[in-house]
Amino acid sequence: MTLVLLDTNAYLRLAKRIRPMLGVEFGAKKYVLVVLKDVEDEVHRSATLKFKFPWFDEQLLAEERLATRLRLTAEEKEAIRVATGVLRASVLDDPSRFMAGGGSPPSPVDCHVLAHGYVKGCLITTDDLSMHRLADDFGIRVWHGHELLKALLHAKAVDTKLVKEIFDALDANGDLPASWRAARHVKFPKIFGKNS
Amino acid sequence: MAKSLRIEAVSGKMQERGWTQAHLAKLVGVSSQTITNWLRGRDFPRPSALLKLAVTLGLEFEKLVDNGETATPVIAFRKKAGTKTTDHHISKARGMGYLLKPLVPLLPGKRPLRTLITSPDCEYGQLRKAVEQTRAVLGIGQHAVLSYNHLIGEFLRNSAVLVPVLWGKKDRHENALHIRLPEEDVTFVYLNLDVRLEDFKFWIAHELAHVYTPELAGTDAGEDFADAFAGALLFPHECAEAAYREAVGKPQSALIKALVKHAHHHQVSLNTVHQQVKRYAKNGGLPLLAVEDRTIHQVRNRAIGPTVSEALFDPMPPDADKYISLAGSVFQSEFFLALERLIKEREVGAGYVQQVLDIPLKDSVSVHRALAL
Repeated sequence: MTLVLLDTNAYLRLAKRIRPMLGVEFGAKKYVLVVLKDVEDEVHRSATLKFKFPWFDEQLLAEERLATRLRLTAEEKEAIRVATGVLRASVLDDPSRFMAGGGSPPSPVDCHVLAHGYVKGCLITTDDLSMHRLADDFGIRVWHGHELLKALLHAKAVDTKLVKEIFDALDANGDLPASWRAARHVKFPKIFGKNS
Repeated sequence: MAKSLRIEAVSGKMQERGWTQAHLAKLVGVSSQTITNWLRGRDFPRPSALLKLAVTLGLEFEKLVDNGETATPVIAFRKKAGTKTTDHHISKARGMGYLLKPLVPLLPGKRPLRTLITSPDCEYGQLRKAVEQTRAVLGIGQHAVLSYNHLIGEFLRNSAVLVPVLWGKKDRHENALHIRLPEEDVTFVYLNLDVRLEDFKFWIAHELAHVYTPELAGTDAGEDFADAFAGALLFPHECAEAAYREAVGKPQSALIKALVKHAHHHQVSLNTVHQQVKRYAKNGGLPLLAVEDRTIHQVRNRAIGPTVSEALFDPMPPDADKYISLAGSVFQSEFFLALERLIKEREVGAGYVQQVLDIPLKDSVSVHRALAL
């Protein structure tokens, strides 16, 4: 089994349309999607997110998140704390390297998510390019959201109609990341064609 | 100064666990020679090896790596009453300090002529002398009311950047945060505007004391001096003497009325006046006024005035444009000018704004949008 940990934005981009999503094994590598309690906290703390994603607190979704929440031993918790500190120190050592083209240095929460990936050996799914850069520096495996979607499609956990629907909805909401836009015709040529 | 491993910490952990260098090398996935090179300071681990080393040894970054003292931001808090400073508060504030570094080259030119209090001392006579000198630099006498403009101008003159913030009335550990970047020789002073107006001048004066005494920033001695200096600067010996003469021997209500009159005139709190009068009397060996601290606090709390933000903005909360504009016009802050340049020249995202201002995402997006236009 390979755990795939979704950050808040990745979860919010997919969870409304892919149901059930968390805790369900898919693909030859037996991927299982999970989220951290941080997602819960981040959405509940932000009036904007609560307003933009009213479905977040639907009972079925809340129960799914609770049931599949990552369980950690005391040793893992301590290792994650230490790893988060190292990742954050690396960001603060040279924050400028993340600050171009609309980027920002990864936040403490971002570092915390990546630390989970490192300690638990899971794949992280995020569309934050700064997190990708930081993860690359430390050899932590990360996916873009569209790569996860591709894996779900490959495993027949979603169909082409749903993939298109998700792309179109994100585009209509002004929430289609540049990496998804660039991947549309490269990773999903059967759905979107080879050229724009 | 280059980064290096804290050899004693690594050796200590290895000893505690009974590990040889060869065993540690195996766990970290490097050669024994590599470990030797790290421990002799000949080489520093690559990011992935450093992460593995830290997790394997269970050593936090600060305990594992010596970053070089000059690079570490120095932090001082103006805490809220009843709050306790934890490691989390300090590391979060230091993080903000590191993130402010890319902003420094974009600040307008530095001002080389600084005011420094070289021998800060809380002793009454020494403090009085320091206040006299400071007021002389500002061109005002001992009886004059120290205005906000005097105080704000001093920050600018001393390469200290004021950052007015709306951090709310509750749920916050500090109401002011002082971040000094020693390498860059710049200080950022965050002032929460969601505080009572009558306390605000004292806090600004307190922060100014930190600017004048950079070597004490972040220490208990620095906090004690900043408190003592702020009171004496706002309500000097001569004012305290006049207030004492007016109040002494009067019944409590008349006495408090006299102190309130002075507090209003100087735009400071009743408590500041009371404390300064008390210090004046103690220093001169005179009888104290017949009123207890507790009574003064009760009187203060009976009439809760507006917050600074309520006095400045209508309606509340202000939109991002108004907030940014006021930071420049009232607080002469160069912070948002530098931030605007960073956003426009390097296309920095809203996440950076969120982290350096320590505000919710929604607010940071509004500020980012206003600056990016």
